[in-house]
Amino acid sequence: MGRDKILQTIRENKTKVTPLPKTITDTNLKEKFDSGLINRFKEILQHVGGDYFEVNGTEELNAFTERHFSGAANFRKKEIWKRYPPDCPKENIAQLKTVILEVQFGVAENGAVWVDESNFPNRLLPFIAEELIVCLDSKQIISDMHEAYFRIANKVTGFGVFISGPSKTADIEQNLVFGAHGAKKTTVILY
Amino acid sequence: MTKHSCKAGQFLKNEQYAAWHDETLWIVREKRDKMARAVPEWEKLRERASKIKEHTLSELDNYLIEFEKQALKNGAQVHWAADAAQFNQIVYNIINENNASKVVKSKSMLTEECGLNLFLETKGIEVTDTDLGERIIQFRNEPPSHIVMPAIHLKKEEISELFHQKLQTEEGNFDPAYLTTAARLHLRQKFLEAEVAITGVNFAVAETGTVVVCTNEGNADMGAHAAPVQIHCMGIEKIIPGIVDLGVFIRLLARSATGQLITTYTSHYTGPKPGGHMHIVIVDNGRSEHLAKKDYLNALKCIRCGACMNTCPVYRRSGGHSYGSVIPGPIGSILAPHSQIKTSSDLPFASSLCGSCSDVCPVKIDIHDQLYRWRQDLSEMKLVSPGKRYAMKIAGKILSKSKMYDCLGKTARYVIKNLPHKLIYNRFNIWGKGRELPEVPKESFKQWYKRTYQEKGG
Repeated sequence: MGRDKILQTIRENKTKVTPLPKTITDTNLKEKFDSGLINRFKEILQHVGGDYFEVNGTEELNAFTERHFSGAANFRKKEIWKRYPPDCPKENIAQLKTVILEVQFGVAENGAVWVDESNFPNRLLPFIAEELIVCLDSKQIISDMHEAYFRIANKVTGFGVFISGPSKTADIEQNLVFGAHGAKKTTVILY
Repeated sequence: MTKHSCKAGQFLKNEQYAAWHDETLWIVREKRDKMARAVPEWEKLRERASKIKEHTLSELDNYLIEFEKQALKNGAQVHWAADAAQFNQIVYNIINENNASKVVKSKSMLTEECGLNLFLETKGIEVTDTDLGERIIQFRNEPPSHIVMPAIHLKKEEISELFHQKLQTEEGNFDPAYLTTAARLHLRQKFLEAEVAITGVNFAVAETGTVVVCTNEGNADMGAHAAPVQIHCMGIEKIIPGIVDLGVFIRLLARSATGQLITTYTSHYTGPKPGGHMHIVIVDNGRSEHLAKKDYLNALKCIRCGACMNTCPVYRRSGGHSYGSVIPGPIGSILAPHSQIKTSSDLPFASSLCGSCSDVCPVKIDIHDQLYRWRQDLSEMKLVSPGKRYAMKIAGKILSKSKMYDCLGKTARYVIKNLPHKLIYNRFNIWGKGRELPEVPKESFKQWYKRTYQEKGG
């Protein structure tokens, strides 16, 4: 059987065990509101082709999404979840033009937001719509990917993804084009 | 001349095109530099990444077992393939068991290495590569010329003509946005029809049984989430110990590869979607044997960013196809001889040994040292061309005998200066092909030193 043969060969050939370097613990986990991080996040987000709006608190956020994205499928509202269950025909999901999701945190160093299965009922949702709107609590912006993975480490779900800006490709002569397969436009609403 | 240099010669015939290729890749290299310099702890990250990989390789069997255990617990099915043939058969069996005939695939150098597409196609399976660059080269029926930018060798005019034929786009419209939209619509249909989706794997986390896939286009996710069956294919060396180790590698990967801060999508697949099936195929195909070669061990740390290609003066001026190996460029030249020693024995010589590849490598692989080592090993195995072998033998003799060296130096200075150009640049003078010999000095260094210091009593 392949498995045993592979493992046996590895055992015969591997070197003496070398130590695993300690994980990076010198980063400060920022829990407090930090305007430096927010500004950095906004700047980088634009650099990666994303867009942002700022509103003041959840009430304003709800009013804002109602007013500007009334036709969108807003997955911050639980009642819409049962319309797009995991076994929902993909053709139905493919009709969606704009999807709104709550995201868990943002990363200042690369403009990425983290979203996992607890934020949507069907895994295609963050990818298939033409436009992706994500709502991010501005207190949940952290500095870098080390902090990001410390956060994720204890709550791994079946699927989770970092999304940084809109889908892009540069496969034709290195010309940057947005909207290769995923969202053509990604907007973060900071609340 | 070697196979590589012949093909490089072909590539360089169109000077304008060769210059464009060189410049385009250099721009990517410059973007990478900008990114690296903006991270103050960059060198520490590289060191850490290299050490994590070193540790993981030294405990690879245990980490693979842990990974398998976790993946099974998450509801994934794990398969092991000792070689390419086993791998292809396993993937085919999964497709077959699901009565599927339409498969979408996102980028995976492993499937290129194993020839999966061809195998599945001969079994009547329709395989669609969904990365834009990969779809382009699939239409053209050619292999990728770069591991991150598979169609970097093509001009937009060529792609426009190709899409006009294959996707009925307007003739003569080579606007990249227009062509990308045409591909988006074409591939959207393929995603919705596919019954099975195949992806490669960037990192596999032992601690949680998670596989991580990085794309800019979102094609891995469109495939894996739309199809009821998802298959992730990984080499055994893709393992890393824990989730927090990803922080190091994700920070390094996109910055090194394309000069991005992170790819648009960094997807973490841990378990199947509700009602779906998730398969992970772990492939050896020579890697466990490679572990025994201590002098070459570091090559197994590679995270396939392609930075060594973008910086390589030989790659930039000869193109990925000139290497004739699945993975081109400096890293390909040290990997290929392990599995294809006879057909790739020319590759370690396709380098200037400038060391730039090692300098940019995010996991600090000693690429140029390994290239140099391969040259010696290949010479010992008598796997270099007879011309090179004899030239080296003769040079070795001359260089070890001072008097003979002086005498021949004198002769050479006279000959190069006085003999007709045509006679010197004869067909045996391979070095002189496309290169001018330097202007000959009047005297040797020894003569100059003697005259300047000893005669003057200095």
